[in-house]
Amino acid sequence: MNMKKFKLFPIFILLSIISLNIRAQDISQVAAQCAAAADAVYLKDYVVNLDASTPGGAPNQARFALMLSKNTKYRFSVCPAPNSEGEPVLKLYDMNVLVGSTYIEATGKDFHMFDFNCQKSGIYHVFISFKDGKAGEAVGVLSFVKRL
Amino acid sequence: MIKKVLYFLIVIAIVASCKSGGDKSGTLDLDDSDIVQGELEVSGEVMQDIIQSVSSPVEMAALVKSLGVQFSNKYLAPTEKVDELTTSFQKAFNLGIYGADLGYLNMYSKTANVIDYISAIKNLADGIRVGQFFDFTTLKRLAQNSQNLDSLMYLSVHSFNQMDQYLRDNNRSNLSALMVIGVWVEGLYLVTQVANEAPHPDLAERIGEQKIILEKLILIVKNFAKDKQFSILLEELNRLNELYKDVEIVIIPGEPEPREENGMLVFVQNERSEVKITDEQLKEIITTTEQVRNKLINL
Repeated sequence: MNMKKFKLFPIFILLSIISLNIRAQDISQVAAQCAAAADAVYLKDYVVNLDASTPGGAPNQARFALMLSKNTKYRFSVCPAPNSEGEPVLKLYDMNVLVGSTYIEATGKDFHMFDFNCQKSGIYHVFISFKDGKAGEAVGVLSFVKRL
Repeated sequence: MIKKVLYFLIVIAIVASCKSGGDKSGTLDLDDSDIVQGELEVSGEVMQDIIQSVSSPVEMAALVKSLGVQFSNKYLAPTEKVDELTTSFQKAFNLGIYGADLGYLNMYSKTANVIDYISAIKNLADGIRVGQFFDFTTLKRLAQNSQNLDSLMYLSVHSFNQMDQYLRDNNRSNLSALMVIGVWVEGLYLVTQVANEAPHPDLAERIGEQKIILEKLILIVKNFAKDKQFSILLEELNRLNELYKDVEIVIIPGEPEPREENGMLVFVQNERSEVKITDEQLKEIITTTEQVRNKLINL
């Protein structure tokens, strides 16, 4: 029995690595698709993979710092990975002020992307979470659209 | 028993080949500056934030191009001496320099020159064992075909971001910091050179706002200043920081406003920043940036 387990162990490791590689390729493809836009230049991407939030707890979210420059139109896009359970939401904060979001709470409307006309140079933060605290995997993409 | 060991070794070999992405040219030279040591003055999280926040290698080039400035080879760092870069410090820093130059070339679709830069980047990336993230073959093919330039741009910037992320995830933040500082220095060099030849208020603004990130980069470099090359880097960045001390950034408050333009959601920021920089300060920053960049690429 132990001998059988020993033989299966390397196969298990191998399959895990193959699966990790496929996942990495998947998420890279999602990033490439999410970044594809004729009128924008890809700058950065933010890959997130979050567990479901605990019931009653604050939703899990990933945070990324970024420097944005005045007089620039940026585009923020967010795309779920093919097997993502949750719907991703990307929010942009300047300090603690929400300055952009792919989900408008007041109307309940979802957008896959938004443009941000930046007028203040500084460090901002992107937060990515999944609706209703679900688990999920997604890619956020930052692109340069134009100088304002 | 031998059979079992062999079986296990085969699996390890497969694992290793998967990790290196088929790269055979990676070197395994390690030197002191390759390993983060000692207590850090800045926490890992803060360091991660700062490194992550540095602009992408193409952003300065995108600004320059949007101003209608012509491409010039003279702004590029030469690649001939890439084989003389032997320490991890030199490799990581110049990786950032060439990364920014590649962004500039791609922005202007100068594919003929791209091959030299992707070769240099591949060489340096292998040298610090992140070459597996730089798909040299595909990039070379895209550059040679001069087609699908968007893919060339995407893949080069994406590869760069992946290298940076990998270094940070693997406790090699010193090399990641060097890479992004290289990008930052070359980006500043590009805009200052252009501003010198074709002054424009947006360039002055962009140069002035670098005060924000320079102060943070200095915090990171201080962490590693026990290393001789890092201490020289710190000295050079401090030279620039001295000039930035009198540059002011003022904020005029305002509320963000969402709009829908042609079916696209747009957030307009009404809070504004204004950079107060004199011609004299700008001139000094331009001159010093050139000196600092030329010293650091030859360090």
